[in-house]
Amino acid sequence: MNEPILEMRGISKSFAGVQALKNVSFRCQAGLVYGLVGENGAGKSTLMKILAGAYKADAGEIIYKGMPRETASTGEIIDSGISIIYQELALVPQMSVAENIFLGREPRNRLGILDLGQLHARSNELLSRLGVALDTRLSVSELTIAQQQLVEIAKALSQDADLIVMDEPSAILAGSELDQLFDIIAALKAQGVTIVYISHRLEEVFRIADEVTVLKDGEVVDSRPISQLDRPTLVRLMVGRSLDEIFPQTDHEQGDLVLSAEDIETDTILDGVSLRLHAGEILGIAGMVGSGRTELARALFGADPLTHGEVRLVGKSLQWKTPSQAIRAGLVLVPEDRKSQGLFTALSVRINITIPILSRLSRLGIVRRPAEEGVVINAQQRLSIVMTSPEQETQYLSGGNQQKVVLAKWLETEPTVIILDEPTRGVDVGAKFEIYKLMRQLNDRGIAIIMISSELPEIIGMSDRILVMNDGRVAGELSRENADEERIIELATLGSAEAQLA
Amino acid sequence: MTLAKRKSKLALSRDNRWRLRKFVADYGVYIALLILLLVAALLTPKLFAVDTIAVVMRQASQLGIVAIGQTLVLLVAGLDLSVGGIFIMTSVVVAEVGNGRNEMIAPAILTALALGALVGLGNGLLVTKRRVPPFVATLGMLVLVKGATQAYTRGVPGGFVPEALGIVNQSWFVLSVPLALWLGLNAIFIFVLRGTTYGRRVYAVGSNIEAARLSGIPVDAIRISVYVLGSLFAVASGIVLTGYVLYVDRFIGSGLDLDSIAAAVVGGTAFIGGRGGLLGTIAGVLIIQILSTMVVLLGLDVEVQFIIKGLVILGAVTLYSVASTES
Repeated sequence: MNEPILEMRGISKSFAGVQALKNVSFRCQAGLVYGLVGENGAGKSTLMKILAGAYKADAGEIIYKGMPRETASTGEIIDSGISIIYQELALVPQMSVAENIFLGREPRNRLGILDLGQLHARSNELLSRLGVALDTRLSVSELTIAQQQLVEIAKALSQDADLIVMDEPSAILAGSELDQLFDIIAALKAQGVTIVYISHRLEEVFRIADEVTVLKDGEVVDSRPISQLDRPTLVRLMVGRSLDEIFPQTDHEQGDLVLSAEDIETDTILDGVSLRLHAGEILGIAGMVGSGRTELARALFGADPLTHGEVRLVGKSLQWKTPSQAIRAGLVLVPEDRKSQGLFTALSVRINITIPILSRLSRLGIVRRPAEEGVVINAQQRLSIVMTSPEQETQYLSGGNQQKVVLAKWLETEPTVIILDEPTRGVDVGAKFEIYKLMRQLNDRGIAIIMISSELPEIIGMSDRILVMNDGRVAGELSRENADEERIIELATLGSAEAQLA
Repeated sequence: MTLAKRKSKLALSRDNRWRLRKFVADYGVYIALLILLLVAALLTPKLFAVDTIAVVMRQASQLGIVAIGQTLVLLVAGLDLSVGGIFIMTSVVVAEVGNGRNEMIAPAILTALALGALVGLGNGLLVTKRRVPPFVATLGMLVLVKGATQAYTRGVPGGFVPEALGIVNQSWFVLSVPLALWLGLNAIFIFVLRGTTYGRRVYAVGSNIEAARLSGIPVDAIRISVYVLGSLFAVASGIVLTGYVLYVDRFIGSGLDLDSIAAAVVGGTAFIGGRGGLLGTIAGVLIIQILSTMVVLLGLDVEVQFIIKGLVILGAVTLYSVASTES
């Protein structure tokens, strides 16, 4: 009945041959809050960047306030009343709150000189519309992240925004700050402003959205009023399968001890960690960022030299001090940051996969190309890597396929122990599921896995045992049966002083 | 419907634009070389006289040999400014050790190679073990080598270059000894880069040093070895240059140091490492040498040569950076 304020029709976009959005349609009516949800890589941000004019759509049209929008600069789009608040806030830290709100559009007096009185008066007015009190003279660098976000919202209002897109605003906010944000969203809604709220946290969407659009793999799966949705349905729409199907289970007996670490320390936060790992087992390592999880992985792998304790593979008397020795001993590390530590993005899939096993594939230092190509084709089939050819540069693969290339590279070394640091970060749900299946297959072949992860459902769903790290130490060990999110968080956040009291 | 058609056309052209960029990045330098040859055919047809070709190719070889080493160093995200010092050092060593005796040529060359390897080792150790940025490390080494050479000769180089080193001036039609050396070394190192484990590791280290380290590649050893190779190629260029003039020259090979970097960069080897190769460098060397020769043939001032060279380098770098920017 109501004319929509915004209608995006049949939007498609691809990057270097990878389809990011397929025929996506999205419409908003004035004065409502729209939840835009989907897993990482579903296309939420791409869609909003097209709206903001940061990307150009390959196909489709945008009708805004009843008029088809031709290509426009980001400045023209802001003037038309669309504001986007990104996760990385775009404020000048050294300038004051008021100066940031009116950056580039400062009120001037008749002589063309900055009118400071006006600047602060109008800034105060905008902030009071949001129902917040903030000294407009403070410099932005003195504000909390939540306050900075408020300044961004005030800035959007100062541009007479009718439509405000918030890209994962909750990612940087704590509990009470989130409540304040929701109050502000309600206030804006009452003033007739349309909000598009991007998030993958479902509780938030249920709290504030009037209508929810679910994106998956670049397509709209569904779009309905929140009243017609419940949590399990929304999860199924986002993920494409229900939660118990995601983590494949196998019953396997615990094998022999393969790896043990005794009281190891390095020149990092790591402070006396011991662990045991058995064949065919997944040992989950949980803990906050900075708790020493990654440092533990690097210590086991020989990437950081041990200053205390020892690590050994049982049954082999080998000791290793460098990654190359660890690899030869049968222990490999799939690092946390794929792009900066795992991949050679400018090099081909073939070169990426065979780099650790070149000596096996060469004679007198000359690489035997047929043997090498056999390995690559094999790996591609085993992990179903989607690529145009083995010569494709890995930077053009999707996150999931990049991760498969890194996994393939390490599987070719035929390890007995694999350390996976955040194995599914930035990977779409389909590839995630394949990675989980692969981990189980490796278990069945007797390979032991250490999995570090920030995603608690993943830790709980996949691990046979869980070690929780806290401040460089093991704060506790949980078996699969008695692990739940609350216990893990408790162990991960318990201060050492409190631990002593308890 | 027409709109949809227009849009799909638009999509196609965007995809094509991406292909075009990739094409420019991969083949731009060869096309530039072809265009330059066409322009030369119109402006300076004398360039294609057999004698001129012989001269151009000899000079290209002198530059090209050191450019091979420079390309290797750039591939591991390094840079070697010390090659200019190595030319002078080589010239002095050949004259001092050889001292006019033909039977001393081999010991003289071996001494120069050994000293060159030491310079390269120094560069490599500074860059890897002391984490000195390559620009600073090799600039310091350049000053050190030049200074040491001058201190040794007290400003007046002694000794005589053995006559027999003039063998480098032998040629069979266009194919001179330096040209044969340049082509041979290229053939070997193109194969080394593409077909051997060593070559793979060079690219891997340049592409992502942390990933290379975590893949078990001895990254420091690879980088040091590349700096040593870079210096050895500079010695080889120095020997060819010395044989050409047959006397000790305190300014020998001046300009070739920076030209070797320019040739590699124009040829598509990236400053950030891991991208590029020797075929591109060959084209880069030829472009620089042909341009210089054309300036002479056109009777223009030498200063013009620098202006044109500068424009070509800036043009190439701009083109590559545009080509590598994703939309």
